[in-house]
Amino acid sequence: MSYLATILPSLLSGLKMTLGIFFLTIIGSVPLGIIVSLGLKSPYFTIRWLINGYIWIMRGTPLLLQLIFIYYGLGMIGVTFPRFEAAIIAFIINYAAYLAEIFRGGLQAIPVGQYDAAKVLGFNKFQTFFKIILPQVIKIVVPSFGNEVINLVKDTSLVYVIGLGDMLRAGNIAASRDVTLMPYLLVGLIYLLMTAIVTLLLRRSEKVLNTWR
Amino acid sequence: MPSLKKKIIVNSIVGLVFLAILIWAGLALSRPTQTKTSDNQTTIETDEWSRIKKSKQITIGLDDTFVPMGFRDKNGKLVGFDVDMANAVFKSMGIKVKWQPIDWSMKETELNTGNIDAIWNGYTITAARKKQVAFSTPYHKATQVLVTLKKNNINSFADMKDKVLGDQTASSGDEGFNKYPKVLKQYVKDNTVVGYDTFDKAFNDLNAGRIDGLLIDEDYARYYVAHQSNPNDYTVTVGDFPTDHTGVGFRKSDKSLRKAVDKELAIFEKDGRLQKLSTKWFGK
Repeated sequence: MSYLATILPSLLSGLKMTLGIFFLTIIGSVPLGIIVSLGLKSPYFTIRWLINGYIWIMRGTPLLLQLIFIYYGLGMIGVTFPRFEAAIIAFIINYAAYLAEIFRGGLQAIPVGQYDAAKVLGFNKFQTFFKIILPQVIKIVVPSFGNEVINLVKDTSLVYVIGLGDMLRAGNIAASRDVTLMPYLLVGLIYLLMTAIVTLLLRRSEKVLNTWR
Repeated sequence: MPSLKKKIIVNSIVGLVFLAILIWAGLALSRPTQTKTSDNQTTIETDEWSRIKKSKQITIGLDDTFVPMGFRDKNGKLVGFDVDMANAVFKSMGIKVKWQPIDWSMKETELNTGNIDAIWNGYTITAARKKQVAFSTPYHKATQVLVTLKKNNINSFADMKDKVLGDQTASSGDEGFNKYPKVLKQYVKDNTVVGYDTFDKAFNDLNAGRIDGLLIDEDYARYYVAHQSNPNDYTVTVGDFPTDHTGVGFRKSDKSLRKAVDKELAIFEKDGRLQKLSTKWFGK
Protein backbone atom coordinates (compact mmCIF):
# COMPACT_ATOMS: atom_id res chain seq x y z
CA MET A 1 0.00 0.00 0.00
CA SER A 2 2.76 2.41 0.95
CA TYR A 3 4.48 1.55 -2.33
CA LEU A 4 1.39 2.57 -4.30
CA ALA A 5 1.39 5.88 -2.44
CA THR A 6 4.96 6.55 -3.56
CA ILE A 7 4.21 6.05 -7.26
CA LEU A 8 0.85 7.82 -7.20
CA PRO A 9 2.26 11.36 -7.76
CA SER A 10 4.02 10.34 -10.99
CA LEU A 11 0.90 8.54 -12.22
CA LEU A 12 -1.24 11.57 -11.43
CA SER A 13 1.06 13.85 -13.41
CA GLY A 14 0.64 11.39 -16.29
CA LEU A 15 -3.09 11.52 -15.71
CA LYS A 16 -2.99 15.26 -16.44
CA MET A 17 -1.78 14.50 -19.96
CA THR A 18 -4.42 11.78 -20.37
CA LEU A 19 -7.21 14.10 -19.25
CA GLY A 20 -5.91 16.98 -21.37
CA ILE A 21 -6.08 14.88 -24.52
CA PHE A 22 -9.44 13.43 -23.50
CA PHE A 23 -11.22 16.76 -22.96
CA LEU A 24 -9.67 18.60 -25.91
CA THR A 25 -10.60 15.71 -28.20
CA ILE A 26 -14.22 15.74 -27.02
CA ILE A 27 -14.44 19.52 -27.38
CA GLY A 28 -12.97 19.43 -30.87
CA SER A 29 -14.45 16.27 -32.33
CA VAL A 30 -18.14 16.75 -31.44
CA PRO A 31 -18.69 19.93 -33.48
CA LEU A 32 -16.49 18.63 -36.29
CA GLY A 33 -18.41 15.33 -36.25
CA ILE A 34 -21.74 17.17 -36.58
CA ILE A 35 -20.44 19.21 -39.52
CA VAL A 36 -19.07 16.11 -41.22
CA SER A 37 -22.32 14.19 -40.71
CA LEU A 38 -24.23 17.06 -42.33
CA GLY A 39 -21.76 16.93 -45.20
CA LEU A 40 -22.57 13.26 -45.64
CA LYS A 41 -26.13 14.27 -46.53
CA SER A 42 -25.07 17.08 -48.83
CA PRO A 43 -26.86 17.27 -52.19
CA TYR A 44 -23.48 17.78 -53.89
CA PHE A 45 -21.81 14.51 -54.81
CA THR A 46 -18.27 15.94 -54.70
CA ILE A 47 -18.70 16.91 -51.03
CA ARG A 48 -20.17 13.49 -50.21
CA TRP A 49 -17.30 11.71 -51.94
CA LEU A 50 -14.65 13.76 -50.19
CA ILE A 51 -16.22 13.20 -46.79
CA ASN A 52 -16.70 9.51 -47.42
CA GLY A 53 -13.04 9.31 -48.41
CA TYR A 54 -12.03 11.09 -45.20
CA ILE A 55 -14.13 8.76 -43.05
CA TRP A 56 -12.79 5.75 -44.91
CA ILE A 57 -9.18 6.78 -44.22
CA MET A 58 -9.81 7.67 -40.57
CA ARG A 59 -11.71 4.49 -39.77
CA GLY A 60 -9.68 2.30 -42.08
CA THR A 61 -6.23 2.89 -40.57
CA PRO A 62 -5.05 2.44 -36.98
CA LEU A 63 -5.03 5.57 -34.84
CA LEU A 64 -1.43 4.74 -33.90
CA LEU A 65 -0.45 4.99 -37.58
CA GLN A 66 -2.28 8.31 -37.92
CA LEU A 67 -0.38 9.67 -34.93
CA ILE A 68 2.94 8.63 -36.47
CA PHE A 69 1.94 10.09 -39.82
CA ILE A 70 0.83 13.45 -38.45
CA TYR A 71 3.83 13.94 -36.18
CA TYR A 72 6.74 12.32 -38.04
CA GLY A 73 5.36 12.03 -41.58
CA LEU A 74 4.11 15.59 -41.96
CA GLY A 75 7.20 16.80 -40.10
CA MET A 76 9.35 15.40 -42.89
CA ILE A 77 7.60 17.39 -45.61
CA GLY A 78 7.74 20.60 -43.62
CA VAL A 79 4.35 20.68 -41.88
CA THR A 80 5.38 20.83 -38.26
CA PHE A 81 3.34 20.59 -35.10
CA PRO A 82 4.59 20.35 -31.52
CA ARG A 83 4.01 16.92 -29.94
CA PHE A 84 0.91 17.76 -27.94
CA GLU A 85 -0.79 19.64 -30.76
CA ALA A 86 -0.05 16.80 -33.19
CA ALA A 87 -1.69 14.35 -30.80
CA ILE A 88 -4.77 16.56 -30.39
CA ILE A 89 -5.14 17.00 -34.16
CA ALA A 90 -4.84 13.25 -34.78
CA PHE A 91 -7.37 12.41 -32.09
CA ILE A 92 -9.88 15.07 -33.17
CA ILE A 93 -9.94 14.16 -36.84
CA ASN A 94 -10.05 10.44 -36.00
CA TYR A 95 -12.88 10.69 -33.49
CA ALA A 96 -14.82 13.17 -35.62
CA ALA A 97 -15.04 10.48 -38.33
CA TYR A 98 -16.51 7.92 -35.93
CA LEU A 99 -18.85 10.46 -34.36
CA ALA A 100 -20.00 11.63 -37.81
CA GLU A 101 -21.26 8.13 -38.58
CA ILE A 102 -23.06 8.04 -35.24
CA PHE A 103 -24.67 11.42 -35.86
CA ARG A 104 -25.64 10.31 -39.37
CA GLY A 105 -27.49 7.40 -37.80
CA GLY A 106 -29.27 9.85 -35.52
CA LEU A 107 -30.17 12.17 -38.38
CA GLN A 108 -31.59 9.30 -40.44
CA ALA A 109 -33.78 8.24 -37.54
CA ILE A 110 -35.74 11.50 -37.83
CA PRO A 111 -38.78 10.99 -40.12
CA VAL A 112 -38.55 13.05 -43.33
CA GLY A 113 -42.08 14.27 -42.67
CA GLN A 114 -40.78 16.45 -39.86
CA TYR A 115 -38.77 18.54 -42.33
CA ASP A 116 -41.89 19.04 -44.44
CA ALA A 117 -43.96 19.88 -41.38
CA ALA A 118 -41.37 22.43 -40.23
CA LYS A 119 -41.40 24.01 -43.70
CA VAL A 120 -45.18 24.26 -43.65
CA LEU A 121 -45.03 25.89 -40.23
CA GLY A 122 -42.65 28.50 -41.60
CA PHE A 123 -39.34 27.43 -39.98
CA ASN A 124 -36.28 28.21 -42.03
CA LYS A 125 -33.51 25.61 -42.58
CA PHE A 126 -31.40 26.92 -39.73
CA GLN A 127 -34.27 26.91 -37.24
CA THR A 128 -35.43 23.46 -38.38
CA PHE A 129 -32.01 21.97 -37.70
CA PHE A 130 -31.20 23.59 -34.36
CA LYS A 131 -34.70 23.79 -32.84
CA ILE A 132 -36.31 20.57 -34.10
CA ILE A 133 -33.84 18.05 -35.52
CA LEU A 134 -30.72 18.45 -33.33
CA PRO A 135 -32.46 18.04 -29.92
CA GLN A 136 -33.93 14.74 -31.08
CA VAL A 137 -30.67 13.58 -32.63
CA ILE A 138 -28.78 14.24 -29.40
CA LYS A 139 -31.23 12.06 -27.51
CA ILE A 140 -30.89 9.23 -29.99
CA VAL A 141 -27.09 9.22 -30.18
CA VAL A 142 -26.21 9.40 -26.49
CA PRO A 143 -25.74 5.60 -25.97
CA SER A 144 -23.49 5.10 -29.02
CA PHE A 145 -21.71 8.38 -28.31
CA GLY A 146 -20.95 7.09 -24.80
CA ASN A 147 -19.31 4.04 -26.31
CA GLU A 148 -16.89 6.24 -28.24
CA VAL A 149 -16.17 8.38 -25.19
CA ILE A 150 -15.20 5.32 -23.17
CA ASN A 151 -13.02 4.13 -26.04
CA LEU A 152 -11.36 7.52 -26.06
CA VAL A 153 -10.46 7.27 -22.36
CA LYS A 154 -8.32 4.25 -23.18
CA ASP A 155 -7.12 5.30 -26.65
CA THR A 156 -5.31 8.28 -25.10
CA SER A 157 -2.59 5.82 -24.07
CA LEU A 158 -1.47 5.64 -27.73
CA VAL A 159 0.31 8.99 -27.46
CA TYR A 160 3.39 7.21 -26.11
CA VAL A 161 4.49 6.74 -29.73
CA ILE A 162 5.19 10.45 -30.17
CA GLY A 163 6.97 10.68 -26.84
CA LEU A 164 4.22 12.16 -24.70
CA GLY A 165 4.14 11.02 -21.10
CA ASP A 166 0.60 9.88 -20.34
CA MET A 167 -0.48 7.80 -17.37
CA LEU A 168 0.29 4.42 -18.93
CA ARG A 169 3.81 5.55 -19.74
CA ALA A 170 4.25 6.75 -16.15
CA GLY A 171 3.15 3.26 -15.08
CA ASN A 172 5.62 1.72 -17.53
CA ILE A 173 8.46 3.77 -16.09
CA ALA A 174 7.61 2.79 -12.52
CA ALA A 175 7.25 -0.87 -13.52
CA SER A 176 10.64 -1.07 -15.18
CA ARG A 177 12.37 0.91 -12.43
CA ASP A 178 10.95 -0.98 -9.47
CA VAL A 179 10.68 -4.33 -11.25
CA THR A 180 7.09 -5.00 -10.29
CA LEU A 181 3.69 -5.20 -11.95
CA MET A 182 1.95 -3.19 -9.24
CA PRO A 183 2.00 0.14 -11.15
CA TYR A 184 -0.04 -1.44 -13.96
CA LEU A 185 -2.62 -2.52 -11.42
CA LEU A 186 -2.93 1.01 -10.16
CA VAL A 187 -3.07 2.40 -13.71
CA GLY A 188 -5.88 -0.05 -14.49
CA LEU A 189 -7.80 1.08 -11.42
CA ILE A 190 -7.50 4.73 -12.41
CA TYR A 191 -8.77 3.96 -15.93
CA LEU A 192 -11.69 2.06 -14.39
CA LEU A 193 -12.45 5.01 -12.17
CA MET A 194 -12.47 7.35 -15.17
CA THR A 195 -14.80 5.12 -17.19
CA ALA A 196 -17.06 4.77 -14.16
CA ILE A 197 -17.38 8.55 -13.94
CA VAL A 198 -18.02 8.83 -17.68
CA THR A 199 -20.64 6.06 -17.51
CA LEU A 200 -22.46 7.72 -14.62
CA LEU A 201 -22.50 11.09 -16.36
CA LEU A 202 -23.88 9.53 -19.53
CA ARG A 203 -26.61 7.65 -17.60
CA ARG A 204 -27.58 10.85 -15.88
CA SER A 205 -27.74 12.79 -19.14
CA GLU A 206 -29.82 10.06 -20.77
CA LYS A 207 -32.33 10.35 -17.94
CA VAL A 208 -32.48 14.11 -18.21
CA LEU A 209 -32.96 13.95 -21.97
CA ASN A 210 -35.66 11.31 -21.64
CA THR A 211 -37.95 13.56 -19.61
CA TRP A 212 -39.66 14.78 -22.75
CA ARG A 213 -39.69 11.56 -24.66
CA MET B 1 -33.09 20.57 -53.36
CA PRO B 2 -30.81 23.04 -55.22
CA SER B 3 -31.35 23.54 -58.92
CA LEU B 4 -29.37 21.53 -61.46
CA LYS B 5 -27.39 24.60 -62.44
CA LYS B 6 -26.37 25.30 -58.85
CA LYS B 7 -25.43 21.64 -58.39
CA ILE B 8 -23.12 21.67 -61.40
CA ILE B 9 -21.43 24.89 -60.27
CA VAL B 10 -20.84 23.76 -56.67
CA ASN B 11 -19.67 20.30 -57.73
CA SER B 12 -17.14 21.70 -60.16
CA ILE B 13 -15.83 24.27 -57.66
CA VAL B 14 -15.34 21.66 -54.92
CA GLY B 15 -13.81 19.22 -57.41
CA LEU B 16 -11.37 21.79 -58.78
CA VAL B 17 -10.30 22.97 -55.33
CA PHE B 18 -9.67 19.37 -54.26
CA LEU B 19 -7.69 18.69 -57.43
CA ALA B 20 -5.62 21.82 -56.85
CA ILE B 21 -4.81 20.73 -53.28
CA LEU B 22 -3.79 17.28 -54.53
CA ILE B 23 -1.46 18.73 -57.17
CA TRP B 24 0.03 21.18 -54.67
CA ALA B 25 0.65 18.39 -52.15
CA GLY B 26 2.19 16.25 -54.89
CA LEU B 27 4.57 19.04 -55.87
CA ALA B 28 5.50 19.70 -52.24
CA LEU B 29 6.31 16.02 -51.74
CA SER B 30 8.38 15.63 -54.89
CA ARG B 31 10.54 18.69 -54.16
CA PRO B 32 13.83 17.80 -52.46
CA THR B 33 13.84 18.48 -48.72
CA GLN B 34 17.08 20.51 -48.73
CA THR B 35 15.20 23.55 -49.95
CA LYS B 36 13.52 23.78 -46.57
CA THR B 37 16.39 23.43 -44.14
CA SER B 38 15.35 26.63 -42.40
CA ASP B 39 12.39 24.72 -41.02
CA ASN B 40 13.57 22.93 -37.91
CA GLN B 41 11.60 19.73 -38.39
CA THR B 42 12.31 18.88 -42.01
CA THR B 43 15.28 16.59 -42.54
CA ILE B 44 18.25 18.55 -41.31
CA GLU B 45 21.40 18.52 -43.41
CA THR B 46 23.34 21.42 -41.96
CA ASP B 47 25.65 21.65 -38.98
CA GLU B 48 23.62 22.67 -35.95
CA TRP B 49 26.56 23.27 -33.62
CA SER B 50 26.41 27.06 -33.84
CA ARG B 51 22.72 27.09 -32.92
CA ILE B 52 23.33 24.78 -29.93
CA LYS B 53 26.28 26.83 -28.74
CA LYS B 54 24.38 30.08 -29.08
CA SER B 55 21.22 28.94 -27.29
CA LYS B 56 23.32 27.05 -24.71
CA GLN B 57 20.81 24.22 -24.89
CA ILE B 58 20.77 20.79 -26.51
CA THR B 59 17.82 18.43 -26.78
CA ILE B 60 18.66 14.79 -26.10
CA GLY B 61 16.19 12.00 -26.72
CA LEU B 62 15.84 9.13 -24.32
CA ASP B 63 13.53 6.25 -23.53
CA ASP B 64 12.70 7.15 -19.94
CA THR B 65 11.91 3.54 -19.07
CA PHE B 66 15.46 2.40 -19.81
CA VAL B 67 16.93 1.30 -16.48
CA PRO B 68 19.72 1.99 -15.46
CA MET B 69 20.75 4.24 -18.38
CA GLY B 70 18.00 6.82 -18.13
CA PHE B 71 14.78 6.54 -16.16
CA ARG B 72 12.67 8.44 -13.65
CA ASP B 73 13.03 8.11 -9.92
CA LYS B 74 10.02 8.13 -7.62
CA ASN B 75 9.82 11.91 -7.73
CA GLY B 76 9.72 11.87 -11.52
CA LYS B 77 13.29 13.18 -11.83
CA LEU B 78 15.42 11.78 -14.64
CA VAL B 79 18.36 9.78 -13.33
CA GLY B 80 20.74 7.10 -14.61
CA PHE B 81 24.21 6.50 -15.97
CA ASP B 82 23.67 8.23 -19.29
CA VAL B 83 21.71 11.09 -17.74
CA ASP B 84 24.60 11.77 -15.36
CA MET B 85 27.15 11.44 -18.15
CA ALA B 86 25.40 13.71 -20.63
CA ASN B 87 24.59 16.36 -18.03
CA ALA B 88 28.22 16.41 -16.89
CA VAL B 89 29.71 16.44 -20.40
CA PHE B 90 27.56 19.30 -21.62
CA LYS B 91 27.90 21.18 -18.35
CA SER B 92 31.64 21.43 -18.91
CA MET B 93 30.82 22.99 -22.28
CA GLY B 94 28.39 25.42 -20.67
CA ILE B 95 25.38 23.83 -22.37
CA LYS B 96 22.17 22.80 -20.64
CA VAL B 97 20.57 19.48 -21.58
CA LYS B 98 16.87 19.38 -22.30
CA TRP B 99 15.73 15.76 -22.05
CA GLN B 100 12.98 14.72 -24.42
CA PRO B 101 11.29 11.36 -23.80
CA ILE B 102 10.77 9.50 -27.06
CA ASP B 103 9.46 6.16 -28.22
CA TRP B 104 12.56 3.99 -28.74
CA SER B 105 11.44 2.58 -32.10
CA MET B 106 11.19 6.18 -33.42
CA LYS B 107 14.62 7.36 -32.23
CA GLU B 108 16.35 7.78 -35.61
CA THR B 109 13.30 9.52 -37.06
CA GLU B 110 13.25 11.90 -34.10
CA LEU B 111 16.94 12.64 -34.66
CA ASN B 112 16.85 13.13 -38.40
CA THR B 113 13.74 15.31 -38.36
CA GLY B 114 15.47 17.54 -35.82
CA ASN B 115 13.11 16.98 -32.90
CA ILE B 116 16.15 15.95 -30.89
CA ASP B 117 19.85 16.73 -31.39
CA ALA B 118 21.32 13.52 -29.99
CA ILE B 119 20.45 10.03 -28.79
CA TRP B 120 22.26 9.35 -25.52
CA ASN B 121 20.63 6.39 -23.85
CA GLY B 122 22.58 3.14 -23.89
CA TYR B 123 22.70 3.46 -27.66
CA THR B 124 24.69 0.52 -29.01
CA ILE B 125 26.85 1.09 -32.08
CA THR B 126 25.77 -1.23 -34.88
CA ALA B 127 26.43 -1.31 -38.61
CA ALA B 128 22.76 -0.83 -39.46
CA ARG B 129 22.48 2.23 -37.21
CA LYS B 130 25.73 3.67 -38.61
CA LYS B 131 23.99 4.07 -41.96
CA GLN B 132 21.60 6.57 -40.41
CA VAL B 133 23.47 8.05 -37.49
CA ALA B 134 27.00 9.25 -36.71
CA PHE B 135 28.35 7.85 -33.44
CA SER B 136 30.70 9.39 -30.91
CA THR B 137 33.67 7.39 -29.70
CA PRO B 138 32.40 4.50 -27.56
CA TYR B 139 32.31 5.31 -23.84
CA HIS B 140 30.89 2.11 -22.44
CA LYS B 141 30.86 -1.53 -23.42
CA ALA B 142 28.64 -4.43 -22.58
CA THR B 143 27.63 -7.69 -24.15
CA GLN B 144 24.34 -9.42 -24.73
CA VAL B 145 23.62 -12.09 -22.16
CA LEU B 146 21.04 -14.79 -21.69
CA VAL B 147 18.98 -14.65 -18.52
CA THR B 148 17.23 -17.85 -17.46
CA LEU B 149 15.64 -19.29 -14.37
CA LYS B 150 18.07 -21.35 -12.35
CA LYS B 151 15.58 -24.18 -11.90
CA ASN B 152 15.48 -24.75 -15.69
CA ASN B 153 19.18 -25.53 -15.65
CA ILE B 154 20.17 -23.65 -18.79
CA ASN B 155 23.87 -22.89 -18.54
CA SER B 156 24.96 -22.29 -22.12
CA PHE B 157 23.44 -20.96 -25.31
CA ALA B 158 23.28 -24.53 -26.64
CA ASP B 159 21.00 -25.45 -23.73
CA MET B 160 18.37 -23.19 -25.32
CA LYS B 161 17.69 -25.91 -27.91
CA ASP B 162 13.94 -25.86 -28.75
CA LYS B 163 13.34 -23.42 -25.93
CA VAL B 164 11.43 -20.13 -26.32
CA LEU B 165 13.51 -16.96 -26.34
CA GLY B 166 12.40 -13.35 -25.73
CA ASP B 167 13.99 -9.95 -26.30
CA GLN B 168 13.14 -6.29 -26.83
CA THR B 169 12.01 -5.39 -30.34
CA ALA B 170 14.56 -3.27 -32.23
CA SER B 171 17.15 -3.65 -29.45
CA SER B 172 20.75 -4.31 -30.36
CA GLY B 173 20.34 -7.82 -28.93
CA ASP B 174 17.54 -8.36 -31.42
CA GLU B 175 19.81 -7.23 -34.25
CA GLY B 176 22.68 -9.45 -33.06
CA PHE B 177 20.35 -12.42 -32.78
CA ASN B 178 19.58 -12.25 -36.49
CA LYS B 179 23.04 -11.19 -37.58
CA TYR B 180 24.85 -14.07 -35.86
CA PRO B 181 22.49 -17.02 -36.34
CA LYS B 182 25.21 -19.47 -35.28
CA VAL B 183 25.44 -18.05 -31.76
CA LEU B 184 21.90 -18.52 -30.55
CA LYS B 185 19.34 -18.50 -33.36
CA GLN B 186 20.15 -22.01 -34.53
CA TYR B 187 19.17 -23.45 -31.15
CA VAL B 188 15.96 -21.70 -30.15
CA LYS B 189 12.47 -22.94 -30.93
CA ASP B 190 11.36 -22.23 -34.54
CA ASN B 191 14.54 -20.12 -34.92
CA THR B 192 12.58 -17.09 -33.86
CA VAL B 193 12.30 -14.76 -30.91
CA VAL B 194 9.36 -13.27 -29.02
CA GLY B 195 9.66 -9.47 -29.12
CA TYR B 196 8.53 -7.27 -26.24
CA ASP B 197 8.27 -3.50 -26.21
CA THR B 198 10.00 -3.19 -22.85
CA PHE B 199 12.29 -5.54 -20.94
CA ASP B 200 10.24 -5.54 -17.75
CA LYS B 201 7.39 -7.24 -19.59
CA ALA B 202 9.80 -9.83 -20.98
CA PHE B 203 11.07 -10.47 -17.46
CA ASN B 204 7.54 -11.02 -16.24
CA ASP B 205 7.00 -13.62 -18.94
CA LEU B 206 10.26 -15.27 -17.96
CA ASN B 207 9.02 -15.52 -14.38
CA ALA B 208 5.67 -16.81 -15.59
CA GLY B 209 7.42 -19.50 -17.65
CA ARG B 210 6.09 -18.41 -21.03
CA ILE B 211 9.62 -17.85 -22.26
CA ASP B 212 12.63 -19.89 -21.15
CA GLY B 213 15.36 -17.37 -21.85
CA LEU B 214 15.74 -13.67 -22.34
CA LEU B 215 18.36 -12.06 -24.56
CA ILE B 216 19.26 -8.79 -22.94
CA ASP B 217 21.97 -6.22 -22.44
CA GLU B 218 24.11 -7.23 -19.45
CA ASP B 219 23.75 -3.88 -17.66
CA TYR B 220 20.01 -4.15 -17.51
CA ALA B 221 20.18 -7.87 -16.72
CA ARG B 222 22.32 -7.17 -13.65
CA TYR B 223 20.10 -4.31 -12.51
CA TYR B 224 16.96 -6.37 -12.86
CA VAL B 225 18.31 -9.49 -11.22
CA ALA B 226 19.67 -7.44 -8.32
CA HIS B 227 16.24 -5.88 -7.78
CA GLN B 228 14.37 -9.19 -7.71
CA SER B 229 13.14 -10.48 -4.37
CA ASN B 230 15.35 -13.49 -4.89
CA PRO B 231 18.37 -12.72 -7.10
CA ASN B 232 19.68 -16.28 -6.73
CA ASP B 233 16.80 -17.66 -8.81
CA TYR B 234 18.45 -16.49 -12.02
CA THR B 235 21.31 -17.60 -14.20
CA VAL B 236 23.09 -15.03 -16.35
CA THR B 237 24.92 -16.73 -19.20
CA VAL B 238 27.53 -14.88 -21.24
CA GLY B 239 27.85 -16.38 -24.71
CA ASP B 240 29.62 -15.61 -27.93
CA PHE B 241 27.93 -12.40 -28.92
CA PRO B 242 30.52 -9.75 -29.74
CA THR B 243 30.96 -6.97 -27.18
CA ASP B 244 28.66 -4.05 -27.83
CA HIS B 245 30.03 -0.54 -27.68
CA THR B 246 27.76 2.23 -26.53
CA GLY B 247 28.05 5.65 -28.13
CA VAL B 248 26.16 8.87 -28.52
CA GLY B 249 24.17 9.16 -31.73
CA PHE B 250 24.29 12.39 -33.74
CA ARG B 251 23.05 13.50 -37.13
CA LYS B 252 25.71 12.85 -39.76
CA SER B 253 25.83 16.56 -40.57
CA ASP B 254 26.61 17.57 -36.97
CA LYS B 255 30.38 17.07 -37.22
CA SER B 256 31.41 19.90 -34.87
CA LEU B 257 29.03 18.77 -32.14
CA ARG B 258 30.34 15.23 -32.41
CA LYS B 259 33.96 16.38 -32.23
CA ALA B 260 33.24 18.50 -29.15
CA VAL B 261 31.57 15.60 -27.35
CA ASP B 262 34.36 13.20 -28.35
CA LYS B 263 36.89 15.59 -26.85
CA GLU B 264 35.01 15.76 -23.54
CA LEU B 265 34.51 11.99 -23.43
CA ALA B 266 38.26 11.50 -23.74
CA ILE B 267 38.84 13.86 -20.80
CA PHE B 268 36.22 12.05 -18.71
CA GLU B 269 37.86 8.73 -19.42
CA LYS B 270 41.31 10.03 -18.56
CA ASP B 271 40.47 11.71 -15.25
CA GLY B 272 38.41 8.77 -13.94
CA ARG B 273 35.04 10.48 -13.88
CA LEU B 274 33.69 7.93 -16.37
CA GLN B 275 34.80 5.05 -14.18
CA LYS B 276 33.26 6.70 -11.13
CA LEU B 277 29.86 6.91 -12.80
CA SER B 278 30.19 3.38 -14.08
CA THR B 279 30.81 2.13 -10.55
CA LYS B 280 27.87 4.16 -9.28
CA TRP B 281 25.35 2.69 -11.73
CA PHE B 282 26.70 -0.73 -12.72
CA GLY B 283 28.75 -1.64 -9.67
CA LYS B 284 31.81 -2.34 -11.81
